[in-house]
Amino acid sequence: MNLGTRKLLDRSFTALGVGSIVIMGMMLLVVLMPILSNGITANVFRGTIEHRKLLYNEFRRGDHAELQRQIAESDAARRKAYAMMAAFEAEMKLMSEEKHAGYQEKYDQVKSAMKALLGPVPGEELPELTRFKYGQTRWSKAEERLHELLYEKQWDYSNPDVEAKEYDVSRAASFQGTSLVKLFPYVESNIDRMLLPEWTVYWGFITDSSIDSHMFGGIWPEIQGTIFLAVGAMLFAFPLGVIAAVYFTEYAREGFFNSLLRSANSTLAGVPSIVFGLFGLAFFINTLKVSESKSVLAGSLTLAIMILPTIIRSAEEAILSVPKTYREASLSLGSSKWNTIVTVILPAALPGILTGGVISLGRAAGETAPIIFTAAVSVGSAIGLADVFSSPTPALSWNIYNLASEHEAASEIRHVQYGMVLALVTIVLMLNLSAIILRARISKKLKG
Amino acid sequence: MKKMNMLKMALYGAAMIGLMTSGEALAEGKKLVLDGSTTVGPLAKAFASYYTKTTGVEVTVSESGSGNGAKSLINKTCDIADMSRAMKENELEAAKSQGVNPVQNVVALDGLAIIVHPSNRVKGLTKEQVRDIYTGKVTNWSQVGGPKAPIVVIQRESNSGTQDSFKELIMGEEKVSEKAETQASNGAIKSRVASTPNAVGFVGLAFVNRSIKALAVNGVKPEVRTVKDGTYPVHRKLFMYTNGQPTGDVKKFIDLPKTPAGKRMITEIGFVNNY
Repeated sequence: MNLGTRKLLDRSFTALGVGSIVIMGMMLLVVLMPILSNGITANVFRGTIEHRKLLYNEFRRGDHAELQRQIAESDAARRKAYAMMAAFEAEMKLMSEEKHAGYQEKYDQVKSAMKALLGPVPGEELPELTRFKYGQTRWSKAEERLHELLYEKQWDYSNPDVEAKEYDVSRAASFQGTSLVKLFPYVESNIDRMLLPEWTVYWGFITDSSIDSHMFGGIWPEIQGTIFLAVGAMLFAFPLGVIAAVYFTEYAREGFFNSLLRSANSTLAGVPSIVFGLFGLAFFINTLKVSESKSVLAGSLTLAIMILPTIIRSAEEAILSVPKTYREASLSLGSSKWNTIVTVILPAALPGILTGGVISLGRAAGETAPIIFTAAVSVGSAIGLADVFSSPTPALSWNIYNLASEHEAASEIRHVQYGMVLALVTIVLMLNLSAIILRARISKKLKG
Repeated sequence: MKKMNMLKMALYGAAMIGLMTSGEALAEGKKLVLDGSTTVGPLAKAFASYYTKTTGVEVTVSESGSGNGAKSLINKTCDIADMSRAMKENELEAAKSQGVNPVQNVVALDGLAIIVHPSNRVKGLTKEQVRDIYTGKVTNWSQVGGPKAPIVVIQRESNSGTQDSFKELIMGEEKVSEKAETQASNGAIKSRVASTPNAVGFVGLAFVNRSIKALAVNGVKPEVRTVKDGTYPVHRKLFMYTNGQPTGDVKKFIDLPKTPAGKRMITEIGFVNNY
């Protein structure tokens, strides 16, 4: 091959490499940017007066005097709207029965749209569920609700051959000729004064418990549960994995039995996580009865079993990559085999072992299937360290799934779901980062 | 230098443990574990936060389906099993062999709403029509007065109490067509139907909202009134099963639907009071 071709090939290979790295970076950006931009809306958003009321009533947070002043201000704007509604209710009573019945249903819709926007109508009995005690806490949602108050969504079924189309009907038009017609332009132009939106940074999203099954509040129980489960899994899996790796590399004789064990280990690494989940339920909870119900302990054990093969494999590789000369030097100085392993080989292999550990830790934090049946619940409070042996816990991975599909108001609280995703990604990233730093430190120490 | 590091580490450790143990102060050792139906889920979650707030007893709720709820009760891993159907013979037998005595407690009434996309012009179906759609006899909306479009049939998984109720109340002896698509929860069916113009599915009454349209069955719309008086033909009871007659905290929790606050929560969630 002449020099020109070789250079060309070399260059094109470099270009290919750079290209693939760029593509990977872009993919990462495409995946991470929406997570970041959507996730941050859980913490930073335009909060309304209702949000500040909620924070004060539930967590006693915020400036009471300032809040009272704002409530008075918004109530002044709201009062007019409620007066219009009361006037129309009085007007309805005077109507003929037929006319009354015609308006009643439409008016009920208006009333419930108002309640969704501003919270319960003053003078009526306060609802039991927190989600109905307040109006819209987020300005973006409030704008949607306002649209629903002003326009009724209808479907055009007139052409049977094509799919029906959606169109908006102004509610004001259907109350033409009554006193209520004034309500709609009034609310539309005064909505700012009724809800007093301002940019809010709600860090409590990370440190608060959820209120009324994630309708409000934060995700601390989920974050804590995730950390408990991941750390618990490591506590079991890491020592076991390292010990098993030492056995494989230092003690086991090469033979049929040993290769069988190795391939069993590799197979285990490829088993779907839901299988581990069911195994955990059948073995740890139903057979061993490590706890009376689902618990962090049972979940950790299940996750530990799931990540064990990876830890064993990576620890094995790390131990095998320790130069033979280290071993020989130690033994020649009269050290015993055990002493050599503990004082020479394991420290030298530690960075590699840690890498495997960290990858597994990230996986344990993110897995859903193994904890469905063994540890995760959709609603529960943050548990103390003493409760890990008996109590189940909410966990980010499972609750993201739950909010995405099962929650009765899933579409209302997408921001909570995004916030959870961001929190989970951040936790995994931070775990990885701390391990990289730890690894770098240890390597430096070993060299120096 | 080394000592410094140790000290630092000890400090970090202490801080971490402090952070972790700062979970909410709860009544000593008292807790309730609920597992089961995704239909009863919203109600169980509302009751749970109410109960924790008023008594300090920690309550956890899992939504894994009625079948799993029954299994959990039989394996004694939960205190209360939420179920959207009554326990089956084989479950009762399994319970007996494990020394568990399942007691049925009604929490609320529910109407099984047959839901379609709001763009669908169909307003109501008869029970027979719903059955024919699910057996696969009727495959196009135009056969039941709708647009010319194939019907996307959606059902629940075998573990679901809602699926069992649907089979019992609508299907009778007939089998659901193999072409039917399966979703794993009420919420999942709802979002699938809300995003698919030609789909049909079924959910508990509390899951009906503006994103979908609930059909009238035999001319009766699923509403609180029609479910309560039984004129809506696809209605059922929602249960919370306990091991033996409920006592103590379990009893107080089970009796919530009889209290004024409990009744209001049931109404606000969208179910129908039994008491």
